Amino acid sequence: MTSVKFDGVTKVLGESRAVDKLTLDINPGELFFLLGPSGCGKTTALRLVAGFYIPDEGGIFFDGRDQSRVPPHKRNTGMVFQNYALWPHMDVWNNVAYGLKMRHVPEDEKRKRVSRALETVQMLTYADRLPNQLSGGQQQRIALARALVIEPDVVLLDEPLSNLDAQLRLEMRAQIKEIHRKIDRTMIYVTHDQAEALSMADRIGVMRSGQIVQVGTPRQLYMRPESAFVAEFIGGTNLLPGRLEEIGDLLTVKTPAGVVHALNGVKDMARGDPVLCSVRPESVRLEPAEESGDVPPSDRINQLTGDVESIMYLGDSEQYSVRLADGALVRAVEYNPAVKKAEIGDRVVVKINAQDVVVLPQEEPDE
Amino acid sequence: MSSWLHRHDLSPANAAVLLFLWFFFIAFMLYPLSYVFSGAFFTDEGFSLIFFKLMLSSSNYVAILANSVNLGLAVTLFTTLLSLPLAFLLVRYDFPGKGLLNGLILIPMVLPPFVGAIGMRQLLARFGSINLLLLEMGVIDQPIDWLGGGFWAVVLLEVLHLYPIMYLNLAAALANVDPNLEEAAKNMGASGFKLFRTVTFPLMLPGYFAGAIIVFIWAFTDLGTPLIFEYRDVIAVQIFNMVTDLHQNPMGYAFVVAVIVLTLFFFYLSKRLLGSTRYEMLGRGHVASAVTPASPSLTVLIYTVVLGISALGIIPHLGVFLTSITGRWFLSVLPSEYTFRFYSEVFSHELALLSIKNSLFLSTLSTLIDIVLGVTIAYLLARKRVPGRSVLDMLAMLPLALPGLVIAFGYVAAFSATPLDARINPVPLLVIAYAVRRLPYMVRAAYAGFQQSSVVLEEAAMNLGASPLKTLYQITFPLVFANLVAGAVLSFSFAMLEVSDSLILALKEQHYPITKAIYALLGRIADGPYIASAMGMLGLLLLAGSLFLAGRFFSRRMGELFRA
Repeated sequence: MTSVKFDGVTKVLGESRAVDKLTLDINPGELFFLLGPSGCGKTTALRLVAGFYIPDEGGIFFDGRDQSRVPPHKRNTGMVFQNYALWPHMDVWNNVAYGLKMRHVPEDEKRKRVSRALETVQMLTYADRLPNQLSGGQQQRIALARALVIEPDVVLLDEPLSNLDAQLRLEMRAQIKEIHRKIDRTMIYVTHDQAEALSMADRIGVMRSGQIVQVGTPRQLYMRPESAFVAEFIGGTNLLPGRLEEIGDLLTVKTPAGVVHALNGVKDMARGDPVLCSVRPESVRLEPAEESGDVPPSDRINQLTGDVESIMYLGDSEQYSVRLADGALVRAVEYNPAVKKAEIGDRVVVKINAQDVVVLPQEEPDE
Repeated sequence: MSSWLHRHDLSPANAAVLLFLWFFFIAFMLYPLSYVFSGAFFTDEGFSLIFFKLMLSSSNYVAILANSVNLGLAVTLFTTLLSLPLAFLLVRYDFPGKGLLNGLILIPMVLPPFVGAIGMRQLLARFGSINLLLLEMGVIDQPIDWLGGGFWAVVLLEVLHLYPIMYLNLAAALANVDPNLEEAAKNMGASGFKLFRTVTFPLMLPGYFAGAIIVFIWAFTDLGTPLIFEYRDVIAVQIFNMVTDLHQNPMGYAFVVAVIVLTLFFFYLSKRLLGSTRYEMLGRGHVASAVTPASPSLTVLIYTVVLGISALGIIPHLGVFLTSITGRWFLSVLPSEYTFRFYSEVFSHELALLSIKNSLFLSTLSTLIDIVLGVTIAYLLARKRVPGRSVLDMLAMLPLALPGLVIAFGYVAAFSATPLDARINPVPLLVIAYAVRRLPYMVRAAYAGFQQSSVVLEEAAMNLGASPLKTLYQITFPLVFANLVAGAVLSFSFAMLEVSDSLILALKEQHYPITKAIYALLGRIADGPYIASAMGMLGLLLLAGSLFLAGRFFSRRMGELFRA
């Protein structure tokens, strides 16, 4: 098992710094995800590991060995390309056997290993087909077998499921995770699909503008985002702007719509800072306005009043958009919605628990 | 029946157009071809293989067939060896002046090799410039017989003329190889020549084949160059000589059939060997990574290679140019006196002037026909589901694989003693021959245009109330206009410099087009060759100008025109 380290890596492509002073440690045997919106530099980072790019600054290390200038064919990484990159002039067998040929593996061992790899992805019966006779999902599995058969130090996957339909994507998620468990190798997986990352990853590095903004387990990232970007990108959230009033057991934030108490927040924030309260839609509860008694709205804690603006019924859930008095929009998700909670135009109270609120620093506007 | 109708767009207008196209192809391609075949296989006593037995039992004829095949193979081989490194250097590396070098490589295309042969003859003759220079320098003391039997001189000239076509195809093929496929191979441990052999070249093969077959057919059936070098032992020259006495000697038919059969044979052989599958490249990843900036030393190497090859390619042009401005050139390396009077004589000499007028007239007509036919065919292919679509496509592309020699010969034979008899008035057949020969370029140019402009744009117009015809004129044609201009310019200039059709079909001086006039003038003593060279230079300028224009319109897609 191999560890992978980015040490202050910068890669300039054209005009932009695709990867910008990236430092990151990936543990041996880990299924590590690089997650971010398109153009964030995640694919560039992966191609730096494969050796298709040479870093302009910094270094890439496998188990402490500097790989920055090692050419791709000597790195022993196995890459699964986004469009699979199966050679159209070779049949499935020869596609998978290619890496072993390059390594001069003896004939009978080669045969065994190719068979085993094809068996692992359940494609042995397709060995003499040409790639263009296979469906997308089948091509995907051949690409995976081709990358795995060489027993690479690091397996690299570049959005491997993005060209598959939704159902197949779910199946392949489970398969890849299962393969990772079996072969016990370091895998770096690039995707923009947060559901894929949350459901599969040991750890996730969230990228933005060529830099890692937060690294953590899926649970850490979801429960304790450290920036509005991460909170919004992973899972979606409501962000209520306000000012940090008090720091104690609870954080008290004053928002135009009312006072919010929060249990969690990013460290090193000071009283008076402009902040954002992140509240996941599924932790928001809606109640009819008249049930909330006669305390004036501004004195109520974690209760915000607004009008239902739109409702979307999705079967397993129902999404409400509530326009607060100050104009901010709050989304609430009701699971297993047997009965409608409110109608469009109804006045409702939005209720939040303090442990579901994370206080985040307000970001400088995007450059 | 009704389902058949439903599967096709067969309005009465479409049907009428189709009918007309079928008539055209049958009358001017299939009928002459079948006439040639029947002439080769039928004598007065019925079916017979006598001519082919004669051909194969004569060691002289067999040698001639072998010469032509060897010529084609040698030219294909050497153009490949020359173009492959060029394509690699220019596609894979970025360096200052890349566009300029790309243009330089294409320059030799602007000279019909048969004009270049005039210049080459001047330089390589027994007492030509090269020998005289070497004698002066004391390198040799006997003049070297460069032209030898003529075979290698013809090869040299054709290689120098045809390598740009090979280059365009190889460069396009290489640029089309999905960089991800090479990256996947590197990722699996391949590099250098191994990577090229196992992945890159196999993926280039279909593109290579497309260029190689054009080059082969061109060299295999070229008439002009061997004629000028007086290298008579090739099929093309033999056929040319047999046209005049077709009625007494039907061997001509058999030779033309042999050309067709051999062409088809090599077409299918290479298709089998080189792979006919066009690989569907899936969605592409990082295309940019395929081009790397060249280091300074590599840049120097690239410049040396390209400039060296271009210099070689320009030698024939130089020879023609020198000849055209020669006042006196006798037993000296360079002319001893210079003059530009031959350029003015081009426009006063009776035959020269007449031939220019003839060519302009013939080429304009043939280009008009090409525009009408080409746009119609391309439109039907790109936008309509017409019955027999693939046959129409094949017929329109057939002239690429059909040597001009075969077409011209077929016309002379098939239409003799009809109102179109070339012996009486060759103008209609010349126009049609030019048009048929260049039709594929026009169809391709227009087809590319139709493909690039989305159908949705037309649908949007119709959705807003434009009739189909209005849509065609107001939306479709303006969108593909650039392609039409480029295709027309190419058709026109190639027609102006068409060799084999002109030599074979135009039999009386009053009908000579430029190329035949050049050939005739070369044979005359006194100032004939000089006027011919001046005309060659003018032709060169015309072709250079039109290729440049067409290149502006097509930019990087130029290669797509010159392939099978």
